[in-house]
Amino acid sequence: MPARNHKQWMAAPNLKDGEWIDSRVYTDQAIFDEELEKIFKSAWIPVCHESELPKAYDFRTTSIANEPVIVCRGPDNEVRAFLNVCPHRGMLIERRPSGSFYEGQPSGNPKRMTCMFHAWQFDMKGNCVYISREKEGYQDRLPKENVGLRRLRCEVKFGGFVWVNLNDNPVDLEEWAGKPFECLRKTLDAEPMEVFHYHKAIVNTNYKLWHDTNCEFYHDFMHYHNRVTGFNDAYFARKNESFEHGHIVVGTFEVNYDQYEGFESRAGLSFPHLPPNQWYMIDLFPGMNFNLRGSALRCDVVTPLGPDKVMIEFRGLGLKRDTPEERQTRINHHNSIWGPFGRNLHEDLIGVQGQGTTMRPGSESRRVLHGRQENQTIHDENGMRHYYAEWGKWMNRLPSDPEAPFTEPAAVAAE
Amino acid sequence: MDTQAEIAAPKMSGGLDPSISRDVADAVRDTIYRATILLDSQEWNEWLDLCDESFSYDIKSWSPEINYDMTYLHASRKDMDALIRLLPKHNTDHSPLTRHTSVYTVDVSDNGETASAVSAFIVFQHLLDGTNSHIDSGESRLFLVGKYFDTFKMVGGRALFTSRIARLENRRLDKGSHWPI
Ligand code: FES
Ligand SMILES: [Fe+2]
Repeated sequence: MPARNHKQWMAAPNLKDGEWIDSRVYTDQAIFDEELEKIFKSAWIPVCHESELPKAYDFRTTSIANEPVIVCRGPDNEVRAFLNVCPHRGMLIERRPSGSFYEGQPSGNPKRMTCMFHAWQFDMKGNCVYISREKEGYQDRLPKENVGLRRLRCEVKFGGFVWVNLNDNPVDLEEWAGKPFECLRKTLDAEPMEVFHYHKAIVNTNYKLWHDTNCEFYHDFMHYHNRVTGFNDAYFARKNESFEHGHIVVGTFEVNYDQYEGFESRAGLSFPHLPPNQWYMIDLFPGMNFNLRGSALRCDVVTPLGPDKVMIEFRGLGLKRDTPEERQTRINHHNSIWGPFGRNLHEDLIGVQGQGTTMRPGSESRRVLHGRQENQTIHDENGMRHYYAEWGKWMNRLPSDPEAPFTEPAAVAAE
Repeated sequence: MDTQAEIAAPKMSGGLDPSISRDVADAVRDTIYRATILLDSQEWNEWLDLCDESFSYDIKSWSPEINYDMTYLHASRKDMDALIRLLPKHNTDHSPLTRHTSVYTVDVSDNGETASAVSAFIVFQHLLDGTNSHIDSGESRLFLVGKYFDTFKMVGGRALFTSRIARLENRRLDKGSHWPI
């Protein structure tokens, strides 16, 4: 077709329902606010890995849907999560990204979470254990038993990730993600892992565009590395499988890392129970990704900051028992592709930034095509179709016309 | 973070003629500043010519989030050579980078054959095609801040890099980069 006039450009594409979406799902502030309320406040988020708080009284802080969250390990070795918000006058209780409560703080005692403002103190179970000048100020009207922290649902699961849910009654975590993790469960649970890499990116794009990139492999055309190490019959046969709750898994094949000059086979450091040089990808709704390339695991977590702004946290993991040499090799394998100075990640981030540039609040709505049908193999776009069908259900909005209520699209129902 | 190991270096001692020591230190400074200019102008191979065969290159950063001394990139001279050769095959943010380097200390070994240096650097990114070029191109943004921990070997009166560790202070790296820093 030649270049189109405005009417032609705006017309619905010649594809079935579910095979394209309207870009307002990426640009509309009201939709964004609603996503935080309806999706992020009820979804399980892997906020960190247990190796980031290895000892009793260690903590890690984060946030979900604008709510500050603290995760800490108690003297009983349990990892618990709370809102990182003081019940007195709303101060952020802990300001550091990570650390330990084992030592005292300027306002408080050892082994306590202390709010620096007026020195209220909490134990690792979230009980308020000290109110400064309690009797003088509150007499018997407000005992400390009534001002505990807000506890959050928290579980350590699927390879030691710490999962938090702001909803008190969420879908059970096993029911939520057990099936997509089945392909890697033996591998991830074989022995303790450890985080060796962390960095973050804030990009001017919608969080779903980042997740879309993790859900579709058609964009391997953008990655020279993936073309030379991947494009063969086994690659094109990889299955892109859908799971309940909007998750997908992209099946594995053997990657030829040595086809990229300067890179090497990863066979010597395969994760437990895996054949050499495999590549599995698990994408969880609404924006988490677990990506295992033979010797290193990557995990992405999105924190949406606005319709056109997202923070992505990147983690890399190896085995806790790695020797220093093994660890360095795993780090090289991970970061030569996925680090901030790696070959692929930079390309992925430029890609979604480019989409964010054309689809901003105020941009005319566009048709975004998800219509490739290749028998649910790697370049099929069924992963994104599956995701947006789930998104539509949570939001009660039709992805191709977000002002209309959701109906199950024909293209997805058939898959 | 323990950077002491990187800072610790052979100290100047009474054994070496002070004028030789000064010449070596001057050669080291010259190499560091030449490297800055060559990297800025993306003359990658000319930059590699300042590096000895034994050269190793690292970009590192301490993460207070995960309590870990991270290695973002680790490469031998051979690895850097391949990385540079393959750059045209990759999609890249072409926004030029300029480095502002200040050499803080140079320590020359007792025999005058090796040296180490610590420099501060700031890297600015001059936006071109990485974001929205119509709006952003021409804007300069702070991209990286850190220190170089370099070691050298004297060859024919020139100081050649035997290692460079670029240690970053900022860890929110956004799109990152394909280029040596
Ligand atoms: S706000 Fe925390 S003790 Fe007052
Ligand atoms: Fe990619």
